[in-house]
Amino acid sequence: MKRAIWADVLFLAIAIVSACTREGERKTPGADTTTAQLPATTVSGTRIAVAHAGPPGEWQMPAGDYASSRYSTLSTITPANAPNLHVSWAFSTGVLRGHEGQPLVIGNTMYVITPYPNVAYAIDLTQQGQPLKWKFRPENAQQAAGRACCDVVNRGAAYADGKIFYNLLDGHTIAVDAATGRQIWRATMGNLARGETMTMAPIVVKNKVIVGSSGGEMGIRGWIAALDVATGHEVWRAYNIGPDRDVKVGPKFKPFYAHDRGKDLGSTTWPGDTWKTGGGAVWGWLSYDPELNLIYHGTSNPGPWNQDQRLGDNKWTASILARDADTGEMVWALQTTPHDLWDYDAVNENILVDLPIKGVTRKALVHFDRNGFAYTIDRATGEVILAEPFVPMNWSTGIDMQTGRPKMVAEKMTSQGKKVMDICPSLEGGKNQQPAAFSPQTGLFYVPTNNLCMDFESHAVTYIAGTPFIGALAPEKGGPGGYRGEFMAWDATTGKKVWGIKEPFPVWGGALVTAGGVVFYGTLDGWFKAADARTGKVLWQFKVGSGVVGNPVTYTGPDGKQYVAIYAGIGGDMGLLIAGDVAANLPYDVRERGTTLPDLARWTSWGGMLFVFSL
Amino acid sequence: MQARSFAELGLVIVAVCAPIACGGDSSAAQTPTSKKTVQPSAAATTRYVDGGDSMRFVAHDENLPVGFPASGRPLTLTNPYEGDKRALGVGAQLYVTYNCIDCHGADGSGAMGPSFADGRWHFGGAPGEVFESIYQGRPDGMPQWGGRITNDQIWMLTTYVRSLATKDLSTDNFTGKTIERTGH
Repeated sequence: MKRAIWADVLFLAIAIVSACTREGERKTPGADTTTAQLPATTVSGTRIAVAHAGPPGEWQMPAGDYASSRYSTLSTITPANAPNLHVSWAFSTGVLRGHEGQPLVIGNTMYVITPYPNVAYAIDLTQQGQPLKWKFRPENAQQAAGRACCDVVNRGAAYADGKIFYNLLDGHTIAVDAATGRQIWRATMGNLARGETMTMAPIVVKNKVIVGSSGGEMGIRGWIAALDVATGHEVWRAYNIGPDRDVKVGPKFKPFYAHDRGKDLGSTTWPGDTWKTGGGAVWGWLSYDPELNLIYHGTSNPGPWNQDQRLGDNKWTASILARDADTGEMVWALQTTPHDLWDYDAVNENILVDLPIKGVTRKALVHFDRNGFAYTIDRATGEVILAEPFVPMNWSTGIDMQTGRPKMVAEKMTSQGKKVMDICPSLEGGKNQQPAAFSPQTGLFYVPTNNLCMDFESHAVTYIAGTPFIGALAPEKGGPGGYRGEFMAWDATTGKKVWGIKEPFPVWGGALVTAGGVVFYGTLDGWFKAADARTGKVLWQFKVGSGVVGNPVTYTGPDGKQYVAIYAGIGGDMGLLIAGDVAANLPYDVRERGTTLPDLARWTSWGGMLFVFSL
Repeated sequence: MQARSFAELGLVIVAVCAPIACGGDSSAAQTPTSKKTVQPSAAATTRYVDGGDSMRFVAHDENLPVGFPASGRPLTLTNPYEGDKRALGVGAQLYVTYNCIDCHGADGSGAMGPSFADGRWHFGGAPGEVFESIYQGRPDGMPQWGGRITNDQIWMLTTYVRSLATKDLSTDNFTGKTIERTGH
């Protein structure tokens, strides 16, 4: 059934692309705007679960709010005036690596965290030329650069209590005085010698900084931890793999599906002690629902990728987990890809929105998984309300609604010694770290996606601490339809795409949507774009020079104007591993063009800029 | 898990090397015969300097300012496996066994760590310099392998890694061949 839908979507896409080509109305070089004739979604009954943090003109949290909505009530910039956007000012971070993440704006100060070596800048927005208030250069072990799987990125800081909290690549969490730039505390959280690096953006919940580590490709044992805001002392730490005591599974644990209930599933679903090096990192985004007092996070792929070395469900890797914010105790779990065979991490953001579904308002969690399914989940219980493919996919025919598990396609299942061809989506996922946004005005989610497929061949691999624990080669290629990414609007009450903007490259930057009815995103080939949130019509674009892998934010400046800020600096997994040939700063590391995106280096090189736009 | 890994790796390597050590068919070692012979920029032997007190260093003459006298007594160190095709094959297997492949890419195309295919070397491409990089590790995350695997294995890895430096990538005009890479 899903395959039939995919065929229909493909046919439609091809038809639209050819129609646009005939009309010669391309607004974007290499990209097509397609608008399906669907009515606007009703918005009554929709609500972002948690309000924007701080005044509407500030951006105090990585996603703007605990709900991870990336929605702003600022409305000066509209579809009518967006074509008049222009660069207001810019700032070089001094670092040429992948600029994932986003700045924060608190009061009249903007805070920027760079990729390794993780310099923090406080920028004074009140003065012309935007001088620095301070610059903080942390101690940060150089070895970390070579232990990070996917470039030396940092996804941003959190703010509370006059402090900026962020993670260092070498496995530390630090607190910096927001006023002075002095380090207040420094906590050692990850073991770099075991391949634990830190790249994710923390959130602060009730005087605790919540953090996790990267290292799913290094055979780490994933965890999430809470640190005291004032002292940096660890309040709790929960592993995602292992016996119940370590995973914090106890009386509060009430998973929706029967197969997720049982003792010590975090270790018994692994052969022997393979769970000790089984991955399950927390390197993605965190959400929090104060009413339920639950923190939501995903876990990464299991390690190694060679599935023969870890037969079983491999809980709780590739899972969405809900934990008690005070204690870290697990409350529910949904393993989106049991016994993952394709590197489908489940770390993508969980957007907390109340949605009217079949006449009932549901407390929903919406999640666009690497595995290609868009999940609408009951965030109180972990029940899958609906799950539909949002990108071309062929490894599963759909989700079994009795169990929440994907139905498998045998010929796309990987195993050692078998080369499986043309698996969609590729290991980069239908979507990766690039976060989506939600607008209560339209009721739609704005989703940056990838359209890639891969071949997959695994081999035996030995665990050696501090080295990759992978055991597979998986070359990637463009997916069906002649485009490699699409920025789309998604209706999570029906599981349907409403409109899409086809892009020549995977859309590796995140989304921002505003009450002005404008949605913003950047592309790997270095365009920053504004589109009409209702129709998907591209209203404006500006070439920022380097590919965008970061997330736009919007704020009100001291002059009362609305500004939109974005990093330009290609990198991350797509920029470094897939397109390492875009680099130009290392004379001893010159790379041949990769097959996945052989044309990308024509459009971009590494960069490290912050651009700020206004009317 | 980590405690046992090197003991087990030793066994793995013995098994891997056994056919070769016993004079077995060298084709079983998957010697990458299709590759071009390396044209290394540096000589096959590396000049060392005896700094006295039993300390020995790779000589980096390029770092000597003009007019500075070279200190110490020159020594030379030669890769015992230079040009040895069987050692090249074992080195190729060690490259996978010790997970070098996932950092430096299949065929040295570059991934988390730098490429080898470009024939350019951050810390020198002469055999002794490559040996040194593997033996003691490098600051950007290259682990120290000296004392963890045998010097013989490091020399065979040196032989293999240097054999990957076959390409002049100085100019990219965005046409022609591409290589397959694995993202993470």
